[in-house]
Formats: sequence, structure tokens, C-alpha cells
Amino acid sequence: MERSDRELMAALAQGDRDALSALMERHYRRIYRVVLGYLRDPDEALDVVQETFVKAFQNAARWDARSEVAPWLTRIGINQAIDRYRRIRRRRLSEQPLADGPADHDHDRRWSDLAPSPERQALGHELGARIAGALRGLPERQRTIVVLRHYDEMTLDEIAETLGLSLGTVKSSLHRAIHRLRDRLGERGR
Amino acid sequence: MNLLHGRWERRVALLAAGAVTGEAARARVQRHLDQCAACRAHLVAFQATLDVLARDPIRTAEPPLPLSALRTRVLARVDEAAERRPRSSRAVLAWVAGSAVAAALVVAVGWPPAPRAPADAPPPAAVAEAPEVSDEFVRHLERRVAREQAARYLDEASDVLVTVAARPRRCRKGEERVDIGDEAQRSRELLARRSLLDVDGAAVASARPVLDDVEEALREVASLEACARKHDLQNINRLVERRRLLLKIDLMTRELQG
Repeated sequence: MERSDRELMAALAQGDRDALSALMERHYRRIYRVVLGYLRDPDEALDVVQETFVKAFQNAARWDARSEVAPWLTRIGINQAIDRYRRIRRRRLSEQPLADGPADHDHDRRWSDLAPSPERQALGHELGARIAGALRGLPERQRTIVVLRHYDEMTLDEIAETLGLSLGTVKSSLHRAIHRLRDRLGERGR
Repeated sequence: MNLLHGRWERRVALLAAGAVTGEAARARVQRHLDQCAACRAHLVAFQATLDVLARDPIRTAEPPLPLSALRTRVLARVDEAAERRPRSSRAVLAWVAGSAVAAALVVAVGWPPAPRAPADAPPPAAVAEAPEVSDEFVRHLERRVAREQAARYLDEASDVLVTVAARPRRCRKGEERVDIGDEAQRSRELLARRSLLDVDGAAVASARPVLDDVEEALREVASLEACARKHDLQNINRLVERRRLLLKIDLMTRELQG
């Protein structure tokens, strides 16, 4: 009989490698898509998925047996993705001087320049590039919430718990994010 | 459009995102939509936006590595980490365990001998027999926590500064103004956290100059209105660039994280 996520986590806490394999098989695609939604770079996303399961293995003993496994894994993954994204962004911007000032028409181009080219090659898709540009224009918190909501289909309560935010903050951030995305992706952004 | 209507607009956005929970709440928004043409237009626009997201090819993307290969990589990383980490943590644990055993022996054997109490002295108060952790170990932990907190602070501060550098969205007041509300708020939160960092301790002493520069930049951001002038942002960006602040943050964060 197939073991539940909780049973697998309990086994993982005992160092059971088969349990790790079973958890990976069940969750790695989902986590990959969430992380890719955030990073928009397949190679970086794969690295983050790898580190997510390494951390899950190392921290399995700390997992609270009352909580669900999937959001716990997602939290590890999205936190790793945020850290990775910050590092990439900082590195790239510290390697090149900032432009004199922000301007709407410069924004997409600037972020497109910063975007890793393999993403373009892999996704090879105008739509993907448009969405990537729009998401990159969001502040970190809004971007994270949009990704968890629309790429992992988390409820707002789950997002609040995952990110340690109040439900009100999640709602207002999602609302503001949708506004911004409408400007970039909707009719006005065309 | 008044304040009350703004609240409806928010609910409409959440409705489009499928994030209005409860039948009654959804029905209330629906009733408002029935009598508000502007809100219906918003709903259509929001839904169109979210439809674009729903067509994102990433939603069906496959990882560029088969599961078996990824599993091999994960297990190799687990082994590698186990090789590296326990050498230090095993040593620390052995050290703590050794201290505990030594402390227990001292209690059990009664060495060094305590001065003999006078016969009429009251019985000694019970002493908890918790194993003692050495001061050095506590200092080691405090140092590590201080460095991690400083690294996290710098990481988040750099995110604010990078976002400010890239912030282009015009706000409603005019062409020359941009929406910086989130970043100003985050700067204020970070400045409040800055006072909690142990910057005078030796653990993060080397980060002090960078932390000071970051604080100055964050103060500039925090002082901006939510709808700020582009010119003010340009001044902050020049400050960040002149001091090569992002590069310094990057290097210092790595140093603090070891």
C-alpha cells in the first residue's frame, strides 16, 4: 500500500532514503513549476528543487507532524527561490551600473537584459517572455503571492501561513499585484 | 470613484483571482457587480489578465532532468553535506556531551570537595543537575546568530535597493512620479530591525561600514512619499552606485554567511 506524505516524512526523519525518493516523485514537478514561475530560469529552478529536497532530508526531524507536507516543501522551495533571485539580481546589478533613473519604457528592456537567456531558449515563447517581464516588475512579496496562488493554487490562508503574513496582507498584496499585472499583461499592456 | 468603491474594486480583483471565500461574500460582490458597470469592466480586465497567466507555458513545464538523475544529485548532496557538517557538529556535540559528562561526574564524585558545612548549617538547597554548556559554546552560538541576522538584513535591504533602482511604475499623480509605497514601507521595517542588530559586537564588526551605508540609503527610501518623484529615486540610485553598495552588500553577505 502506498505510504501517505506524513508516513513518508516520518520515515525521512529516520533517514529513510526510499522515503525521499517517494516524496520527490510525488512533489518534484509541482515544486519545479512553482520555483520556475518565480525564477523563470529552468537551470536555476532545477538547482532550487535539488536544494529543496536536500533541505527537506536534513530538516525532516523538525517537521511538525500536524502540518501538511506539500506546503512545507513549497515553503522551503519558495524561500530558496527568493534567496537565489536576490543573489542573481544583486550580482547582475552590481556588475553593471544602474541607469540614471527609472522610466516605464526602460523597465521591460532592462529586466529582459537581466533575464537569463536559457529561459528564452527553453520556453522560446513570446507569452512566457511577456509574463516573465510582468512578474519581474512586481515587488518581491506580490510576486511570491502571485506565484503561490496561480502556479501552486494555494488558498490565501495557506499562502498566509507559508509566508508568515496576515490574511489581510496577502489579500491586499494579491489585489495590488493583479492591478499591476493588468497594466502589463491586460489590454492596457498590449 | 470614492474610497468605498476602491474597496469594491479590491473585492472584484480577489473574485477574479478566485480568492473570495464563502458563498455569502461572493454573492455580495456579485450584487455589487450587477449595479456597477465600472466594476464589471474591472472584472473583465482582471480576468483577462489572469487568463494570460493561466496560459503560461511554465504551468506544464517539465524539469530538464529526469527524476532518477535528480534523485542521484540530491542524494549525493545529502552525503556531501553529511560528510562536511557532522565533522564540525559532531565535534561540537562531543564537546557538549563531554562537558555534560564532566559536569555530571563533578556532581556525582563531589570533586572538588566543597568546604565542610558546619553541623548546624541548614541543608543545602536542591541544585538542578542540568548539564552546563560552556561560555565558549554560547559565545559561538551568539556570534553565529548575530552574523546570520546581519546577513539576512543586508539581503533584504539589497532587495529593496534593487527594486528601487528598477521601479518604473507611474502612479496616478503624473508622469514624473512613481509608486514606491511598498519599498518605503519595507525600508522603515528594515530600519526598525537595524536597531536590533548587534553591530557593536565583534561578530559583525567588519560589516559596520556597509551597514551604515545601507542605513543611509534606506533612510532616503523610507523618507519618500508613496508616490515619489523620479528625480528623488535617481538621487538614491546615484548614492547606491557611487558607493558600490550592491557589490559591497553581496561580498559582505557572503562573508557573514561563511
